[in-house]
Amino acid sequence: MTNVVPVEPFTGEWYPGYKPEFFDFPYVVDAPSPFKPGDEQAFWFLDFHWSRGLTPLAATLWSADGYCHGTQSASENLPLPPGRGVTCRFAGTHLYGSPIPEDDPREINARAQRLARNLPHFLQNFTSIWEAGRDELEDTWNYFQGIDLTKVPREDFPKLLHQARRYHKRAMEIHFAVMYPMLVNFLSFYGSCAEMGIDTNLIGKFLQGEDTKIMELDRELYKLAIKAREAGLSQVFAENEPENMRQALLAHGGSASQWLTDFDDWLQVWGHRSDATCDVGVPSWIEDNTNAFGNIKTFLMKDTDHDFDAAQRNAIEEREAAIEAARSGLTKEEQAVFDGGLAANRAANFPWWQDDHNFYIDLKVMLPLRHICQELAARVGADDKNDMIYLFWPELLEVANGKPYAGELRSLVADRRQYFDHWFHKRAEMPKVLGTIPESVEDPVLIEIFGINPGSLRAVQNPDAAEQTQLAGVPAAKGRAVGVARVLQSSDELHRVAPGEILVCESTSPNWTPAFGKIGGAVCDGGGMLSHAAIVGREYGVPTVTAVGVATIAIKDGDTIEVDGTNGKVTILKRAADLAGADT
Amino acid sequence: MTGALVGTDSIVWVDSVDPATAVAVAGSKMGRLTELHRAGVQVPQGFAVTVEAYRRHCAESGLDERIDQVLSGLGSSPAEHEVEQASATIRGLFSETPMAAALEAEIVAAYEELADRVVEVNPPTAVRSSATGEDAADASFAGIFDTYLGISGPQRVLAAVRSCWGSLFTTRALSYRLRKGISHHDMPIAVGVIELIHARASGVAFSVHPVTGKPDRIVIETSWGWGEAIVQGLVDPDHVEVGKADNRILKYEVAHKKMVSAFDFAEGRVTEIAMPERLADRRVLDDEQIVAIAESVKAIERHYGYPVDVEWVISRHRRAGDPICIVQSRPVTVTATETTPAAYDPVALAQKYIFSGKPIPGR
Repeated sequence: MTNVVPVEPFTGEWYPGYKPEFFDFPYVVDAPSPFKPGDEQAFWFLDFHWSRGLTPLAATLWSADGYCHGTQSASENLPLPPGRGVTCRFAGTHLYGSPIPEDDPREINARAQRLARNLPHFLQNFTSIWEAGRDELEDTWNYFQGIDLTKVPREDFPKLLHQARRYHKRAMEIHFAVMYPMLVNFLSFYGSCAEMGIDTNLIGKFLQGEDTKIMELDRELYKLAIKAREAGLSQVFAENEPENMRQALLAHGGSASQWLTDFDDWLQVWGHRSDATCDVGVPSWIEDNTNAFGNIKTFLMKDTDHDFDAAQRNAIEEREAAIEAARSGLTKEEQAVFDGGLAANRAANFPWWQDDHNFYIDLKVMLPLRHICQELAARVGADDKNDMIYLFWPELLEVANGKPYAGELRSLVADRRQYFDHWFHKRAEMPKVLGTIPESVEDPVLIEIFGINPGSLRAVQNPDAAEQTQLAGVPAAKGRAVGVARVLQSSDELHRVAPGEILVCESTSPNWTPAFGKIGGAVCDGGGMLSHAAIVGREYGVPTVTAVGVATIAIKDGDTIEVDGTNGKVTILKRAADLAGADT
Repeated sequence: MTGALVGTDSIVWVDSVDPATAVAVAGSKMGRLTELHRAGVQVPQGFAVTVEAYRRHCAESGLDERIDQVLSGLGSSPAEHEVEQASATIRGLFSETPMAAALEAEIVAAYEELADRVVEVNPPTAVRSSATGEDAADASFAGIFDTYLGISGPQRVLAAVRSCWGSLFTTRALSYRLRKGISHHDMPIAVGVIELIHARASGVAFSVHPVTGKPDRIVIETSWGWGEAIVQGLVDPDHVEVGKADNRILKYEVAHKKMVSAFDFAEGRVTEIAMPERLADRRVLDDEQIVAIAESVKAIERHYGYPVDVEWVISRHRRAGDPICIVQSRPVTVTATETTPAAYDPVALAQKYIFSGKPIPGR
């Protein structure tokens, strides 16, 4: 019997003042929208990238220009023969994704022919294709950086908003046009390795040990922490919460002032990043220093520094050993195939790109739009600098074009803030899947990145998941760790994780990376072998199990758990509730 | 001794029969040993009691009539127990029907010649059925006729030859012929009497992967002692894979080997007994031996021009550098489902693994 989880509880009303035409964007195959009747015929998964929920502007622009336009146009252009990208729906503020299958055999065949023409060209020219896209985006970024928004004439705002939206949309075209063929190449290599009898747990290691822009950022952040310790500021960091750190440092004076100057200089280089994926609702580290301070605070709590160089050396040694182990069991003919596949995947290294591109795209691509919205808010006398991101795009343009920001619109924004907060607190209760749940999925993106596999699909349908003490998932990064579990809804809470504790979350994105320098292990609801958590877990040598399905349901904050990243097992050893009971 | 060397109607020697007629007169198993010998492969000394000798024995002793009598009682679609009964009756007839004195004398003389060649009194031998059409009749017949290992002394050899003849009428062979409508007259049997190599280790080797048919590797299965326990599937053997292009050992899986075919001196033959504990988990072959086996198999495949499956023995007296002794060879029946592509082809692989609607192997 196929299990159908009704979408009906999530249909009907959406954000106050929402009109269907607010989602009237060009689309390729399927447009985003709130859940509507009939959607239960498809399979929907709760997308871990936006665990905070999305504001009206963030929800509509990301889902229309990124999720739907980006994936659907890229899978037409490559194309992916049996898949036409993904689409999405909203349950409250929470985004659910769904793969769009193509099942007409004639169409699939025609698409396969096109893939055969396009893929080799892409692989041969990967570096120049990716760098051209990246440079184009950096040029646009620099264009926005060169604008002093406070001096922009009022009438230029509509044009600026269009430009900023276009920047994000173009970034997503480039993103998925590069990601899909890289993924195809990687999975071809993976399948070929598996067929040649290579231990599939080795395959992720073949491509590790390459430095990424995100890792560079983390190293630089770590250096700041060491500087703080050398300046005798460990105590200040230990005694103050991240939100108040700047004031505390200012009050401390002396070496703290110099350190703050260094910190601010550092932010100008590395702080143009938000702790989110393409979410206009989330500030950069420059705008809000909390997460940067929080990361430094927990780094300083560690007894020993994370040795980035040693971790990378280990990753490289492990890589070379894995390659040698795999090659030695192959015939000369097979070695030729393996070597060719390895070379093609090193030249277009998917795990590397999967981390690296976030610096150029995901973490900052919405910042220009955010800053324009904030300047507009100031010009129109909004109560809060973020009021504009609670508008829908047509409403925002009206305000930019001179419609007074007052009365009904203002009160709608207040209602929408409440709506957002309401759904923010419901995140933990959101069903992991909705609609018609299959036994397995075919889309490699869903399997390898989101970690949707038969095991995790079964896990999320277990009504007793909250009571489970034995969990299984993808053995993403090897090793064993025992520690206290910290169950986090979003990376905003990362400073709650003390060194050696186990991070438990829906899944990680690059904005979670700094945590891997301090955590003892990681357990995620989602995430396949190519997910961020799996890749970074391997690079940092952190035992990681992904695609558990119900980790955030079964594991309670404060439980003592064991993570076995070698075998993909997680065991809850002691419940926090029991420990608390024993204390009293 | 010239007469014995050249052979007679009844007896032919592996090393001297005309290879062009060897399979016809000595059956496929013995005929192939001759072909291998001519190709320069190390094979054991031995002779065959020919197809003609078998025919004459059946005709002259009156066995033919008695066999036909038993078979005619079976009808067109007999029950299994009826076939079993007929098989037992016919095999009984073979063991109680004496050979013509002249044939007996020829076999005994050949056995003495073999003793002389290997310089041993009452040398133990392998007495093997060597059916005609055994290869051609597909794998259904492979290995279903009897083999007796360790038979020593003229009287025991004579008895073993009669038993091999009788094994043409095992229940399985009878059922098969009844089903296919083949007369036993169309597939007479020869019997090989071969020097028993004092086996330290034996096994089988395939010049392609026996399951996938991949032609880029040699697959070897091996255990201590003689090869019967492996051939009959009584022991889980060590599994070795060797790259055909460069003789590199790709894989060596040491199995827990519970049984061994060993010489039982009280019985005067090779039987299957429990493996001594110390040998059970010990790796059987060293690298030099593996390469020597691979080289032999490749030479045999080159000689025939098609993939082969061989049985081989490493003698207790073999030293590094000596050739491996091959005791049997036949064509491999597996055909490659797919070959290793010449190069990494992401488009073809994507079609196969990602867009086929099937899970990626290993996931």
